[in-house]
Amino acid sequence: MRIALMRIAECLPAWRWRRPQGVARPFIVLSLLVLLAGLASVLLGAGEVGPGRAIAVLLGGGDAEARFVVGSLRLPRTLIGIAVGVALGVSGALLQAMTRNPLAEPGLLGVSAGSAFAVALALLLGASAATLRVSAAQLGALVGCLCVLSVVRMRGVGSDPIRLVLAGAAFSALLASFTSLLLLFDQRAADEIRFWVIGSLSGRRIDDLIAVLPSLLVAGVIVLAIARPLAALALGERVASGLGHRPARVRLLVILAVSLLVGAATAIAGPIAFVGLVVPFAARALAGPDIRRALWLCVPLGPLMVVSADVLSRLLVAPSEMPLGVLTAICGAPVLVAVVRARRMPTL
Amino acid sequence: MPLYLAPTVSILHRLTAFMAIAMILCLPLASAQARTLETAFGEVTLNGEARRVVTLYEGALDTALAAGVTPVGAVTTRGGDGVARYLDDYLDDIAIVGVVREINIEAVLMQRPDLILATPLISSEQYALLSRIAPTVVPATDGFSPDAWKDEARLFAQALDREEEVEAAIADVEARAAELASALAEHEVDNDVVLVRWMPQGPMVMSTQIFASGLLDAAGLEVNDSGLVREGAGHSDPLSLENLSQVDRDWLFLATLNEEGREALDAARRSPAFDRLNVVQNERVIPVDGQLWSSASGPLAAQAILDQLEAALLP
Repeated sequence: MRIALMRIAECLPAWRWRRPQGVARPFIVLSLLVLLAGLASVLLGAGEVGPGRAIAVLLGGGDAEARFVVGSLRLPRTLIGIAVGVALGVSGALLQAMTRNPLAEPGLLGVSAGSAFAVALALLLGASAATLRVSAAQLGALVGCLCVLSVVRMRGVGSDPIRLVLAGAAFSALLASFTSLLLLFDQRAADEIRFWVIGSLSGRRIDDLIAVLPSLLVAGVIVLAIARPLAALALGERVASGLGHRPARVRLLVILAVSLLVGAATAIAGPIAFVGLVVPFAARALAGPDIRRALWLCVPLGPLMVVSADVLSRLLVAPSEMPLGVLTAICGAPVLVAVVRARRMPTL
Repeated sequence: MPLYLAPTVSILHRLTAFMAIAMILCLPLASAQARTLETAFGEVTLNGEARRVVTLYEGALDTALAAGVTPVGAVTTRGGDGVARYLDDYLDDIAIVGVVREINIEAVLMQRPDLILATPLISSEQYALLSRIAPTVVPATDGFSPDAWKDEARLFAQALDREEEVEAAIADVEARAAELASALAEHEVDNDVVLVRWMPQGPMVMSTQIFASGLLDAAGLEVNDSGLVREGAGHSDPLSLENLSQVDRDWLFLATLNEEGREALDAARRSPAFDRLNVVQNERVIPVDGQLWSSASGPLAAQAILDQLEAALLP
């Protein structure tokens, strides 16, 4: 812990110093876009409360129905969408930098599936408290991460991005079948668990977000501490060791941070795939391959994708809602194909 | 000419008349021996009384029990491990041969049935397999219709050769519903109702065309799906929490597959969007067993639903 804190202290000013101005501008522009998306998320919905009535609420007026819809339904899911977006975007960038694979993504590699399976298991065993659900999700994500890492360490598989994704897909499918098996064992819990099979922001409350805030903060601190060693690791393990970093410890911290982030996101929104793929992809396109710069851009890009997808999910099939996970997959799958089909697979 | 022909015509005439009378006399005998049923897969001819019946449909099991026939095998109720709970009083033990959507053909074969009563949703491939095991009766039902269960029950009754019993059971249900309708009208019970299944992301509104809705209608209640259910579907997609006012009517029947309806109500009330509805605040939400209300059909199920309706709505 002390080492981690020292590391933050040592890298914070340096980071600010070295952050090129090239990143500051897109960061601000993207943050403004997130604000716009957040505004749209508060104003638009599948219900009868349209933008006019919602604006009246924002200005301090509005009828009871509109106040309820804006304050208790749309605002919580917007805030949760922002948190989930940051968590998934950043964890995608971390995983990609660690595995040096542009296709590494929590959803594709089975980290989310492990997390969802753990939640289903906890629910079956009778857990219901929100906090217990969070820790179960994070433990599941940790196990998922460790499995990913063990695949990466395998000679041959780790160096081929597509084979890693294939291994991850097989792992995800395995966990999904375990989750279905749990559904078969206990039909009574099925309704509650089905929610965990595909992600959604609907019906979540601000309490759920508060329950995961501490772990998000811890993960944020870890990310600040490991950004620089991670960038060094991109130059190769020997170089990183030569610069005084310890690759094994950095990897461990990355896994810890990713488990905390993905576990928290899954606990409040269920498994949402492809955000961790698309967001770092876009961030690298804007900021270049340096993980420190890309991480900064992931912070606004993640929420931008999740919140916009959530707004769409409400408008497309009103008066019902589409699950968020379906929409992120629709946006993300083409990016996956594009990355794979690119003539030269970008290696990190 | 007439002189010659007269006796011939007369003989022919008598012969035909005799044959007609003989045929009329023989008909009841013939029907007990061999009866031909109009099923979804064409005519099926059955002989004698079935001794080992396997039902592959909730409605068929219900009708068979109502007719006094105890099947040897049945499928589970949707979302359950055994047959629906409301049938517990009618049946001790029954072999489970799969679930409605996935029949275990080998388990059916093990029961050595001499008659199979199946769901209208069965595929022709499955029918081909089953009809090689035993005569298989599939009702020709097209989509959802609140009164389809009566036609299905009559067909199953023919197959079981228990037409009188089933006809009486249907008449009982109709009389009971009419009685309840007049009792509800007498007590001026509010009659705008909606039937939903609660999901964590929102309620699914059940169609006005399903079995339970038909009974609510027969009991004089106005079932309303707010136009949310597409034609031919049993229920709507989960409604957005922003649109819950669409289910805010005089009474809300909350069907759940969980054992404890009360638990489902508690789970629903944890959602602030649900808790603020007038129907919830007025405590007019009636948790009902989804095994009975959204999956079952048949005369016994109808009586059980009317029982619950009476207990819940009559002061």
